[in-house]
Amino acid sequence: MTNQIISVVRVRDTLMVTLPADPDDVTVATLQEEVLRAMERYRPRGLVLDISGVETLDSFFVRTVTETSHMVGLMGGRTVIAGMRPSVAITATQLGLTLHGTLTALTVDRALDLLNHPRPRRRLS
Amino acid sequence: MSEATQGNVPIQSENDIIAARRAVRDLAARLSFGITDVTRIVTASSELARNIFLYAGAGVMWWSISDRNGAVGLELTFEDHGPGIPDVELAMKPGYGTSRGLGFGLPGTKRLMDEMEVRTEVGKGTTVTVRKWLRK
Repeated sequence: MTNQIISVVRVRDTLMVTLPADPDDVTVATLQEEVLRAMERYRPRGLVLDISGVETLDSFFVRTVTETSHMVGLMGGRTVIAGMRPSVAITATQLGLTLHGTLTALTVDRALDLLNHPRPRRRLS
Repeated sequence: MSEATQGNVPIQSENDIIAARRAVRDLAARLSFGITDVTRIVTASSELARNIFLYAGAGVMWWSISDRNGAVGLELTFEDHGPGIPDVELAMKPGYGTSRGLGFGLPGTKRLMDEMEVRTEVGKGTTVTVRKWLRK
């Protein structure tokens, strides 16, 4: 199976990361490496993970994303997960997956607003 | 697309997890499950396929479109000849396995489906069957 496309783009001082609809394990693992490398290279304030296209979010995906968010935090950046679909939110909750305090936003716009706040107002898990 | 009513997907590598997921997505869509149920079924199959890959190394996902008293449903069976589960009751307790955050989330997977049966024998293997019925 060929690798899927993940986009990691710097916009001003934010990293915008967009995930494909059905990311496989290799893609998810690659994402973590690319994000951390981009953090070092561009020194952004934070990271917006756009999952609005993601149709399936399983335990491996969630674990890697929360791990990545933690790593980004250790490097001094903040991560906001944006655009989770209703069907994915329902499924993740019933399955028992949690994001361990990673910030979430309804849209990429709101994620950018959150990153521009001096401090996160609330944390969702 | 073929209109077969049963088939299987071998699970021998990480790539096969996504192959199983895609096959299940196509099947669930073919049966006209709603988007949330499609997501539930695909996610459950991803977890169960991953358990096979993680704990047994290899196995098979069998699928069939079942008809019970006029109700149409999708049945998925995940079979492996791995180490088996020593304590199924413990494995079925809410929260079990989720602390590791990877696979083995049987209680969570059960919540996504209508029915789940686990048959396992230490040293012989594990078979997990799940079903989702189409609501009329």
